[in-house]
Amino acid sequence: MKPENPFLAGLALIAGLLFLSPVLYSVWISFQTADAYYAGELGFTLDNYGRAVGQYNFARYLLNSLIVSGLVTLFGITFATMAAFAFARYSFRGGNLLFGATVATLMIPSHISLIPNYLSLAKVGLLDTYAGLILPAISNGFAAFFLRQYIRGIPKALDEAAYMDGAKPLQVLWRIIVPLSRPAIASMALYIFMTEWNSYIWPLVAVGDQDLYTLQIGLARLYRINPGEGLVDWPLVMAASTITILPVLCGFLLVERHLVRGITMGAVK
Amino acid sequence: MSGISLQDIRKSYPNGPRILHGVSLDIEPGEFVVIVGPSGCGKSTLLRMIAGLDRCEEGRIEIGGRLANDLAPQDRDIAMIFQNYALYPHMTVRENIAFGLELRGMRKAEREQRALDVAKTLQLESYLDRKPAALSGGQRQRVAMGRAMARNASIFLMDEPLSNLDNALRISMRTEIKELHRQLGATIVYVTHDQTEAMSLADKVAVMKGGHVLQFDRPDMIYDRPCNQFVAGFLGSPPINFVAAEALPGLQGKKLSLQELTVGLRPEILTVHGENPGGNALPARLLLSEMTGSEMLLHCESPAGRLTVTTARRDLPTDTSSLWISYDLDRALFFDSQSGDRMDIVLDGGEAAAN
Ligand SMILES: Nc1ncnc2c1ncn2[C@@H]1O[C@H](COP(=O)(O)OP(=O)(O)OP(=O)(O)O)[C@@H](O)[C@H]1O
Ligand SMILES: [Mg+2]
Repeated sequence: MKPENPFLAGLALIAGLLFLSPVLYSVWISFQTADAYYAGELGFTLDNYGRAVGQYNFARYLLNSLIVSGLVTLFGITFATMAAFAFARYSFRGGNLLFGATVATLMIPSHISLIPNYLSLAKVGLLDTYAGLILPAISNGFAAFFLRQYIRGIPKALDEAAYMDGAKPLQVLWRIIVPLSRPAIASMALYIFMTEWNSYIWPLVAVGDQDLYTLQIGLARLYRINPGEGLVDWPLVMAASTITILPVLCGFLLVERHLVRGITMGAVK
Repeated sequence: MSGISLQDIRKSYPNGPRILHGVSLDIEPGEFVVIVGPSGCGKSTLLRMIAGLDRCEEGRIEIGGRLANDLAPQDRDIAMIFQNYALYPHMTVRENIAFGLELRGMRKAEREQRALDVAKTLQLESYLDRKPAALSGGQRQRVAMGRAMARNASIFLMDEPLSNLDNALRISMRTEIKELHRQLGATIVYVTHDQTEAMSLADKVAVMKGGHVLQFDRPDMIYDRPCNQFVAGFLGSPPINFVAAEALPGLQGKKLSLQELTVGLRPEILTVHGENPGGNALPARLLLSEMTGSEMLLHCESPAGRLTVTTARRDLPTDTSSLWISYDLDRALFFDSQSGDRMDIVLDGGEAAAN
C-alpha cells in the first residue's frame, strides 16, 4: 500500500518508533547476560528466558494470567453485552436508576472497593482461588455503558423484524445485535482483557499462594532477586516483561480486524 | 388463516398527541384488507399494534378469536413487511429470507430451497448472496417482501410493500401478492398510497383520516357510495369534481335548499362536446389537457368552477376553443355542504329531495 501523503506517513513512522523504542530496548536487553549488561558489553544468551520459566515459575504465572484474564473477559463481555441490550432496548421500572448506578461505578476509584471485596471474599472462603481473582472483575460498568450506547445506534426496526420472524429476545440479541455490534464488542473485550492482564493490586491482595500468582505479581517479585551488590537483574526482568507483553500483543492482532465499523448500512431505507 | 377483530383501539405515544381515536375493524379470516389514508393518519401505527410491536393499552385486539393484547409479536403468527424494509444488514439475501424459517426449525436444505423459490418469484435469484447494502431500493423492498412470503404465516401485514418499484415490476408484484393470497388463503392487511393497488387488491378497503376509520367497505361500495366528501375525494383517479348544487343547471330543490348541497361528479360521468348538446350542460373553457395514453384528461373552467373530465382521445372535439360539458345527474353523488356527509337524494326529473 502506498502512503497517500509521504509527510503524514513519515510522521506516523516516527511516532510509531517513538512508542515502540522502549519495548524494543527491553526485548534487546532480555537477550543479554547480566554480566555483559553491567559491564557494558555485548553477550547474547537465551538463559534469561530459561531462568524466568524454569527457576522463577513464569510458565505457571503465564498460565494463571491467561486463565484469569481469559475468563474475566469471557464473563465480563457476556454480562456487559446482556446488560447493554437490556438497557438499550427495554424500559422497565427502575431501569434508569439501574443504568445510572452502572455509570456511577465508573466514578468510584477501584481502591475503594478493595477492602470490602477482600472482606466479602474472605467470608465466603474464596481468597487464594481463581474464583477470587475472577469474580470481582467480571462486572464492568464501562463496557456496559459503552455497548449500550452502541446498541442504541442499531435501528430498532431490526429487532422488530426479528421478533416478527419468530425470534425470542435472546435470539434477537445473539443473531442480530451481537453480530452488528462486533466492532464494539471486540474493542470492549480487548479493553477488559488488557485491564485484567495489567491488574496488579487486586491479585496482590487476593492471593498469597505462589502457584496462583499472575504475571504482574511474579514480575514485581523479580525486582527483589539480585545478582549481588543490591543490583536488579535487569536482563532477567526484561525477559519476564517480554513474556508478559507477548500475549497481549497477539490478542490485539487477533481482534484488530474486527475493530472496523460500518456494517449497519443498508438495513433500513 | 385467522381473522382480526379490533375494538375501539386508541393509541397515544408517551407525552404525545393521540394518534388513533378508537379504531374498530372486523377482518374476516382470509380477507384482503387495504388501508388507505393521507400520510401521518396512523396506518403504520395500526399495523404495528396488530403486529404486537406497539402495546395496545386501550381497546381489544383479537386474533383468530383469541384476545391478543398481551401476546408477544413472535407468538402471533404474523409476517410483516416494514415500510422501511428492516433487512438484516449482516446477512445475505438468502439468509434474510430464510431467517424466519430457521427460527422455526426448518432444515437447512429445505429452507434454502424455499428461499430460492421465493427469490425466483421476486426475480431476485442473482442477488441471493449479496448483502442488503449492495442492493438498490427496489431490490431491498423485494427482499423484505420475500422474507414475509417465505413464511407460511396466517396473517400478513404489508406496509407499502411496492412503493419503491418501477411500474412494470409493481404490476407483476401485485399479481404475485394476489396469487400468494389465493394460494395461502391468508389474511392480509395492506397499506398503500396507490389507488389502483387499493382497488384491485382489496376485498375491503378501510379509509383512514386523522386516526379514525371513516369507512370500511368493499372497494366498489367505497367508490360508488362513499360515506363523505373526504372519502369520495380520496379515492378515484383523477379525483372527483365537487361543485355547488345551485351552479348546476337542471337541478331544483324540493323541500331542500340547494345551498346546503354539494354535488360530486366523477370525471368519467362527464362528457365533452364541441357544441351545446342541449339538456343539462355547462359551457367550459379548456385550461390544460393531459395525455394518459388512450385517454385524455381535460381540466376545464366552467361557471360551476373547475372540472376535470376524462375522455377517449378520438372523442375529443377538433375545436377545443369552446367546449360544453354534460353530466349524468343520476350517477352524481350528493353531499351535505356543512358536514360533508353523503346524502341519499332522490331525483325526480331534476328535482332533488332528501331521502
Ligand atoms: N414513536 C413515535 N412517537 C411519537 N409520535 C409518533 C411515533 N411514531 C409515529 N408517530 C406519529 O404518529 C402519527 C401516525 O404515524 P404513522 O406512521 O402511523 O403514519 P402513517 O399513516 O403510516 O403515515 P405514512 O403514510 O406517511 O407512512 C404521525 O403523526 C407520527 O408523527
Ligand atoms: Mg406508514
